Amino acid sequence: MSNLMVDKVATLWPEMVMLAGAVACLMTGLSSQASRRRTVVWIAAATLVIAGIIAAAGTAQATSGVGLAGMAKFIKVAVAAVGLLLLMLNTSSTSQEGVALMRDTPELGGEFFAFFLCSLTGVMLTAGADDLVWLFLALELTSLPTYVMVAMGRQKLEARESAVKYFFLGAMSAALFLYGFALLYGAAGSTQLADIHQYALDNPHDGLLMFGLVLAVVGICFKIAAVPMHFYAADVYQGAASPVTAFLAFVPKSAGFLALLLMLGIVGWPLPQPIAWLIAAIAVATMTVGNVLGLVQSNVKRVLAYSSIAHSGYMLLGVLIGPPGSAPGSGNSATSAIGNGVAAVLFYLLAYGFSTIAAFAVLACLRVENDEAQTYNDLAGLMQRRPALAAVMVVAALSLLGLPPMVGFLGKIYLFGSALTQGYVVLVVIAVLNSAISAGYYLPIAASCIFSKPMRDVQTIEAPGRQAGAVLAAILAVVLGFGGGKLVSSANDAGRVVKQKHADKVSQVDQEKQFTSQ
Amino acid sequence: MGEPINDVALAHFLLTGGLLFVLGMIGFLIRRNLIIMFLCTELMFQGVAVTLVAFSKFHLDVSGQTFVIFVLTIAAAEAALALGLVVLLFRSKHTLDAEAWGELNG
Repeated sequence: MSNLMVDKVATLWPEMVMLAGAVACLMTGLSSQASRRRTVVWIAAATLVIAGIIAAAGTAQATSGVGLAGMAKFIKVAVAAVGLLLLMLNTSSTSQEGVALMRDTPELGGEFFAFFLCSLTGVMLTAGADDLVWLFLALELTSLPTYVMVAMGRQKLEARESAVKYFFLGAMSAALFLYGFALLYGAAGSTQLADIHQYALDNPHDGLLMFGLVLAVVGICFKIAAVPMHFYAADVYQGAASPVTAFLAFVPKSAGFLALLLMLGIVGWPLPQPIAWLIAAIAVATMTVGNVLGLVQSNVKRVLAYSSIAHSGYMLLGVLIGPPGSAPGSGNSATSAIGNGVAAVLFYLLAYGFSTIAAFAVLACLRVENDEAQTYNDLAGLMQRRPALAAVMVVAALSLLGLPPMVGFLGKIYLFGSALTQGYVVLVVIAVLNSAISAGYYLPIAASCIFSKPMRDVQTIEAPGRQAGAVLAAILAVVLGFGGGKLVSSANDAGRVVKQKHADKVSQVDQEKQFTSQ
Repeated sequence: MGEPINDVALAHFLLTGGLLFVLGMIGFLIRRNLIIMFLCTELMFQGVAVTLVAFSKFHLDVSGQTFVIFVLTIAAAEAALALGLVVLLFRSKHTLDAEAWGELNG
């Protein structure tokens, strides 16, 4: 038992580094010298790099059954990498004019970056969760800092309003999934996910367990912005500062999907009929609501919020399919990720993350009359003014739409392809139709950047970090579209381990080799 | 941990917990005062805590009660956050009515 504990703690080095970095940011932010206070960004960056390296060098955690042990490594490295990108977006302007332009955006202090790191730590911890208590704490660690970040990131009434909305609904959803956890515990008599999984296998028709699971899933829907807990997204995304919105679009969503995979791992794939219907219904409702409401918006931040909802709907298909080997006829070859729903979700999370971060980064670089650029008119004619930023926006929109050769296309291929191999033809047809609808708002974004005449006096902030972040995210969205194979195969490995009940030595050594060879 | 409670006692405790939870949820949905709404989410958390303790006693398993300690900790952190946000809002608009907030609309 104590040995198990030591093993568990040994997998937590990246998280410990992150928390130490958060404390260091907090302390440095209190310094009386402005020059020292400005180093917090660099401390946060160094923390992310170190945590990422430690996570990449670490061995895959031995799995105890339903935990995401194999995924944990992939997730931790990915979170550190995307965290760096998000950090670049949150840097402020270096020039005097830039600072004057961003009057409603306060100089972000050490506490902001401490919260930033804490929230990312929460996602890492979610990936390694094997216990209900752990999972609850990790999810709350992800969410609580984001409420403060929304309130702090922008000194406007809207930001405060959206922070309060986000917080209250977040607290309500937390209570909802917590009640679900309590019922799961009540049914199985243990908080260990492995024990609950065993109990679910022995008692497949336990009403209490099923009810608890449904409550937990509905509560977690808030984190991924899925129907019926999606309505906050548009308001919160619009009210928060653009760099913070990019954070909201990736970080809580990742934690939510990991938690969802853990929860459904309790009953195992293929999911029991009622749960499968529930997930399928949520997926269809989410993508349809997101895409249809996205069409009628005039604010690009709100459009991207509905696009975030719609993408959650697509990803729920992967959640429905689950890891390979769970249904007869699933593709189980070592090279193909098609058929592995978990791998498809992991890859799609990154694909969506890079694309949406690129889009928000462009918005974060632009200012209109002392406010953030956020309407189609603000983007009009961007090509003539700032060709690089316009190109980034076009890449982001096309990638979110899922056009080749962007990474969004590859993500959709894996997701929809996996769903097809498992025979969910109707769902895939609905998803493809939805993708077609989404062209109705992604293409206008791209078109207004390229073809429209400039309509408003848009200024660009001289913030090298933000511009570099925008370009980097767009480059990643294109490069991964061409050469995402490696990432796919490591996502595939990560997704495969989830199902493995008792990892025997041979296959573990095998995985080690695969990890090191990449 | 002594004797486990029987089914009837468990049902009573679960009913209490469930009632607290549902009352909290209804209050959250129909009340518009921010402080009351926050207290309603607290009520939901306490309903969960009662449920967890009852199950813990029923299964004679201590981890449920450990869970409650963590739930209370998180509830305390949320209370601090909620009051901070409410004060922030009250300063900019001297009301606690949730209806008064409608800057964000599609």
